[in-house]
Amino acid sequence: MTLITRRRLLENAAKGGLVVGAGGLIAACGGSSSSKRSAATTSQASSGTPKHGGTLRAGLTGGSSSDTADPNTIVNNTDYARAALLYEGLVWTNSQAQQYNRLAEEMTPNKDATVWTIRLREGVTFHNGKDVTADDLIFSINRVINPKSPGEAANALSGIKAAGIKKLDERTITVPFAKPYSTLPESLANNITVYVLPVGFDPKNPIGTGPFKMAQFTPGQQTVLERFENYWNAPLPYLDRIIMTDYSDETSQVNALLSGQVDVVNLLSQDTIGTVTGSGKHVVISDGGGWNPFTMRVDQPPFNDVRVRQAFRLAVDREAMLKTVFGGHGTLGNDIFAIWAPEYDHSIPQRQYDPEQAKSLLKAAGQENLATTLVTSDIAQGVINMAQVYASQAQAAGINAKLREVTVTDFYGPNYLKWTFAQDYWYYSPYFPQVNQATLPGAPFNETHFDNPRYISLYNQALATLDVGMRQEIAHEMQMIDYNEGGYIIPFFPAVIDGYTTNVNGIVQSKTGSSFNNWDFEHVWLS
Amino acid sequence: MSTATDLGAGGPARLRVGWARGGAHPIARLIAVRLALGVVTLWAVTVVIFLATQALPGNAAYAVLGHSATPQRLQALEAQLHLNRSLVSQYGSWIGGVVHGNFGTSLANGEKVSTLIGPRIVNSAALVIAAGVIGTLIAGILGLIAAARRDSWFDHVTSVVLLAITALPEFVVAIALVILFSVVVLHALPATSTIPPGSHPWNNVKALILPVATLAIVIAPYIFRMVRGAMIEALESDYVEMAKLKGLTRWRVMLVHALPNSLPPIIQVVGLNLLYLAGGIVVVEYVFNYPGIGAALVDAVDNRDIPMIQFIVLILAAFYVLVNIVTDVIALMATPRRRVAR
Repeated sequence: MTLITRRRLLENAAKGGLVVGAGGLIAACGGSSSSKRSAATTSQASSGTPKHGGTLRAGLTGGSSSDTADPNTIVNNTDYARAALLYEGLVWTNSQAQQYNRLAEEMTPNKDATVWTIRLREGVTFHNGKDVTADDLIFSINRVINPKSPGEAANALSGIKAAGIKKLDERTITVPFAKPYSTLPESLANNITVYVLPVGFDPKNPIGTGPFKMAQFTPGQQTVLERFENYWNAPLPYLDRIIMTDYSDETSQVNALLSGQVDVVNLLSQDTIGTVTGSGKHVVISDGGGWNPFTMRVDQPPFNDVRVRQAFRLAVDREAMLKTVFGGHGTLGNDIFAIWAPEYDHSIPQRQYDPEQAKSLLKAAGQENLATTLVTSDIAQGVINMAQVYASQAQAAGINAKLREVTVTDFYGPNYLKWTFAQDYWYYSPYFPQVNQATLPGAPFNETHFDNPRYISLYNQALATLDVGMRQEIAHEMQMIDYNEGGYIIPFFPAVIDGYTTNVNGIVQSKTGSSFNNWDFEHVWLS
Repeated sequence: MSTATDLGAGGPARLRVGWARGGAHPIARLIAVRLALGVVTLWAVTVVIFLATQALPGNAAYAVLGHSATPQRLQALEAQLHLNRSLVSQYGSWIGGVVHGNFGTSLANGEKVSTLIGPRIVNSAALVIAAGVIGTLIAGILGLIAAARRDSWFDHVTSVVLLAITALPEFVVAIALVILFSVVVLHALPATSTIPPGSHPWNNVKALILPVATLAIVIAPYIFRMVRGAMIEALESDYVEMAKLKGLTRWRVMLVHALPNSLPPIIQVVGLNLLYLAGGIVVVEYVFNYPGIGAALVDAVDNRDIPMIQFIVLILAAFYVLVNIVTDVIALMATPRRRVAR
């Protein structure tokens, strides 16, 4: 079961006096070490004065015939890309995972955080030339929470009193909530958001305020976007046109990049880094805040015993797993999500690989030599490899995790969110919004079925607290509960690896956990 | 495929009866009967496929929503797609539409299935026809030369090389071609063959070269072996001996005397390879990211998009039925002793 890492292999080779062999190995490893250099040069690659013009050709995976341009029915990567380029939310997240106002000029709560006053930025127009007004914002909010076709952000607005939304003036509204909701802005700062749409929005005519407007859209094949001349944040964007072509898999995507058919490709695996950099193209390796957890259902045996959960968390060698699956690119995890959030507690000691401790915990729980099934699927880059590595590492703790690989469609079929022991993937989200999505009873994606009274009361307390410092303290206490009792195993936050050709500039490393700094193509320019 | 034996055994007998009763021309009658049987086959296919899609776990609502399927969104989408109706009612309304030429709308994006698939049929057909014609021509010419120069070095080399190719699956051939011509050795051809929506394959000839070459290479060995074998058999016959003794040139003997008599088995194997291509494009379209019906079928199954699956399978099944009828008819017409009722 011992995993052979590159370092160990080299050490052993050197010990055995296989100098020539080791030299050969070093040469063979040249691809991946040069890739690190290439990632480092990435930030310099954007030097020079940005200039306007040109067509960016993007080769993207994840699309399908069910692709949409309707921000309410976003599902896959290409949907997120389209939405992020066509539309804009009130707030957004920058490459450092910090939120900033985008279409909002101001979002102010009342004293008990039950009513938010939202003022829109001045001088923003839609692609059809119409000014953005308070009516558009009210329409957009109502569209997201419409129970007949709820948007992904509906749950982030679950306490909203829709009938009480008031228009104060042409750019300002007040939004009342049934309960205090101090975290509203950060809850809308990522892909799950309220995009501002014009009153009467028709998805067949996808009009937004974003830096690009729709020119042509064929689901599962191609999307053509054109520069929005009257974009409020001039002189952005630089590109005249973006052609996004769907690719079925990484091989064809990378082949297209290497043969010059596309300029940028997204979501690469660590295995292709060498191939891409070896042929003179660049990769950008970002320490994303996205995460690929193992999910243990805390309400079902054997995971209803917290000792079993802790044993399963101790049975993973996080560093070795990160090395094997992502070539060491990424950040170690501590079974707590939202690593780049200001309220993330970095002082909690890093959980180490400890199969002996895991064994004794399992023994105490009466679950020695536990056999279980881990459901895995090709849902995101590296997920199946993580499962294989986990099964192998956990053996040392006497855990016999049998892998059951299902198709993506099966994985998200009727058993989704009900698997006893499975996996998932998440983009970066700040701490409280993530709790709202994942670890509360009634949260839409509570795959671990976590239901902890103390945790819930702390969360509600945080929502009623406008003092950021106090909220941080509450968050730290909740994170101790995540750390000691939670149903997630978060071994690491994997790197996001994107590739691009030499004449593409303005590509930056990003903590958003989403490709190209969450589809920030408005800053990209061609030389 | 047992069409060849059908022809040999039952075919002529049936034909003779038809002719004797003073009905239509035997070939016309054959076509009519086979077409009628084809329609029944297609109907059976729709039932089988419909039941098979029901056996897949989940439905289009689960498949479309995927990672972001919340109970509320599932409910909303299931209602919108009418997935809550009974099986019989779903199939009934679909087949009712088909009779009127309406193949339904895609569950994945609400567009008409025929609108979505139309351009893809053109794309796939271009691939199959180009590969079929080029593969057949090249393999046929090689086969003729190999038969004419039997046991020469040319015969040995082509036979061995083509035999080796039969052991390679499509994707290996495809990847080898990509490495050779677009990514590693040369950078002459595009590695993927995306045909932009609204454009046609014949406007993107460069993009077609590698997928067509892959398919042509894959089918060539079978056609080569059949041509070579049939020609060698014909060349050993008495009438060829006679023609040679008459002093005819070697190529006239080959093309005018031997080839026509070797045609029926060659036509059968070409037909079989066309049918094989209809399946083979699924892999090749995937590797080259080519927007044809093979790729659409994979996508439709992933999305549990039943009207889409039904339509594509129906198209493929119809292609099978038609190619079978056409090869039988052509083979029949190329066999003088069988096309005349005695």
